[in-house]
Amino acid sequence: MAMFDILPTAFIFFAGAIIVALLPSGRIRSAISLLIPLLAGWQVYNLPSGVFAQIELFGQTLEMMRVDKLARVFALIFCLAAFLGNLYAWHVRDTVQQLAALFYAGSALGAVFAGDLVTLFFYWEGTAIASVFLIWARGTEAAYQTGLRYLIIQITSGVILLAGTALLWRETGSIAFEQMTLGSIGTWLIFLSFGMKCAFPFLHNWLQDSYPAATVTGTVILSAFTTKLAVYALARGFAGTEILIYIGAIMTLFPIFFAEIENDLRRVLAYSLNNQLGFMVVGIGIGTEMALNGTASHAFAHILYKALLFMSVGAVLFRTGTSKASELGGLCRTMPRTAIFCLIGAASISAFPLFSGFVTKSLIIDASAEKHYTIIWAILVFASAGVLSHSGIKIPYFTFFGHDSGLRPKEAPLNMQLAMGFTAFLCIFIGVYPEPLYALLPYEVEFHPYTMGHVVGQLQLLCFALLAFAFLIKTGIHPPEVRAINLDTDWVYRKFLPNVTATLYKAFTSIWVDAANIVKIGLGQILNLLHKVHGPEAGISSVRPTGAMALWIAVLLAFSLVISYN
Amino acid sequence: MDHIPSDKSENNPALSRLLVWFINPKNSKTIIGILITICILLFLVDFTYHKHGHFAVEDYKGFYGFYGFVMFTVLILVAKALRFFIQRPEDYYGDSAIDREEYPPEQLEKVDHGDV
Repeated sequence: MAMFDILPTAFIFFAGAIIVALLPSGRIRSAISLLIPLLAGWQVYNLPSGVFAQIELFGQTLEMMRVDKLARVFALIFCLAAFLGNLYAWHVRDTVQQLAALFYAGSALGAVFAGDLVTLFFYWEGTAIASVFLIWARGTEAAYQTGLRYLIIQITSGVILLAGTALLWRETGSIAFEQMTLGSIGTWLIFLSFGMKCAFPFLHNWLQDSYPAATVTGTVILSAFTTKLAVYALARGFAGTEILIYIGAIMTLFPIFFAEIENDLRRVLAYSLNNQLGFMVVGIGIGTEMALNGTASHAFAHILYKALLFMSVGAVLFRTGTSKASELGGLCRTMPRTAIFCLIGAASISAFPLFSGFVTKSLIIDASAEKHYTIIWAILVFASAGVLSHSGIKIPYFTFFGHDSGLRPKEAPLNMQLAMGFTAFLCIFIGVYPEPLYALLPYEVEFHPYTMGHVVGQLQLLCFALLAFAFLIKTGIHPPEVRAINLDTDWVYRKFLPNVTATLYKAFTSIWVDAANIVKIGLGQILNLLHKVHGPEAGISSVRPTGAMALWIAVLLAFSLVISYN
Repeated sequence: MDHIPSDKSENNPALSRLLVWFINPKNSKTIIGILITICILLFLVDFTYHKHGHFAVEDYKGFYGFYGFVMFTVLILVAKALRFFIQRPEDYYGDSAIDREEYPPEQLEKVDHGDV
């Protein structure tokens, strides 16, 4: 690549995808899919900071590789997630999914390194288009329709980004992707575009709608990139924007209620993902060095434990054909390793000490306390107990423990166990030894998660919440898992709007028919009348002497003269 | 379910026997007993060190435990009430919704020892 001083990391994935496409389906292909993220990760790790791979286009400079610490930490976790996802998908022999995963991860990396908004836009849409194939690969009518809904929303987010970019360029003459201040329509549009991908409240439902519709392996890959790319974009563009604190707090809060009563465990995890994004968004809103470190590290840890949870539920789906809590239970008998991996993911997301969530989430919560956002802090602590309830307890309890469903599925395939084992190892490693992760963060870290106050406080919160769970289960107050769905904002475009249009269609059709009838009858009458008056047999057509006409005109003139004279 | 396979399958590795101990109803009292003991100990630990909380409320002994217990219960109760408003049958969005369809079996490797 002579035109670039550095090969853009995205191109490693794209070139790799082309190689994969040319190879015959099989182990070599799966091995190459593993090698590509490793190669890219190695490149990212060794990249110097600076701006590289610039190209001139229509008088603007596109920066394909803007490398700094914030971009690097997100790029590294994206490479790691692509590696783990592809290992989990080692057994998949579907070319579409293999290519989609590589193009998707490559686009996400391209977006992270984009130094300008136009490059960002291209990769932003790239993630949308590549990722939808992980949903469509399921191959059913429902997956097709869900994928379309997903695609429309994702593409719309990109179009809004482009519109915002154009307005910002007119305003400032620059397309650089830097820190922005909300104010002009351009910046608000860019903010909205990021918010759609980040699943802000009321813009969130594409996430819970689409992730459970993807393939077993597709959901694991989906869970890593799109939303964390949005978190990165917000951290880059809108750090310290106060409104994000409140948006983030709402995001931590409302999904925990929905997750609690949702039956499909992959959708429970999608709600839980939404809740975790909330913590990151609060961190961006606070915008201090500590808070932004918290956001970056929490995104890193979150991608791992969320992938691990999706992997374990995916393994159950792979062996039993269902991911519904009402149909599962007691699987620890025959899937004990998957159960242990799931428990490690659950402990990590619940932020038990010695697990990854503990050393990252406490950065954000402490940052909120340091700035004395009392209510926000109280919400975040409550949401932490909420995380325990759906991801920490519900997922493992109703799948692997709880009542006996009678299912005795075989343990997950070896490649899935390896992927889960490695991810679980990383979750514990980060929790026990956070320094290497802290060293990757955008700012200097002066934070000690393992103080007496932190550890005891967090353990109290979690253990007493567990006690509450035991109490609610024993007394039968805890709601049982039932086969049902819950309404969310997708109701608006899946039920309400189609109903409205159907009603309008019906109404307009009947009005149209009536109107057409009236016109038809009316027209007929007019035509008849015209025929009577002007037709060959009509009076007007008959021949009269002109003298009579002159006389009549004279009478009329005389009449009008009399009137006007008076 | 007329036939629930036995837990004492000889194929079960040590790990699953360990996990099965937790779901044995006979052990539930022990588990809850251990949990209560841990909670009491965690509460007592609060008296042994000086907290440097950012908020006054953090200095109350057992604040986090109390908050965790109460808020968890509130969460479950509110979620349960929420069901009343937003729960719908699985076919609410028609039959071509993912909640209504089987996952395509040819993409899975379903193996159930209970069938054997």
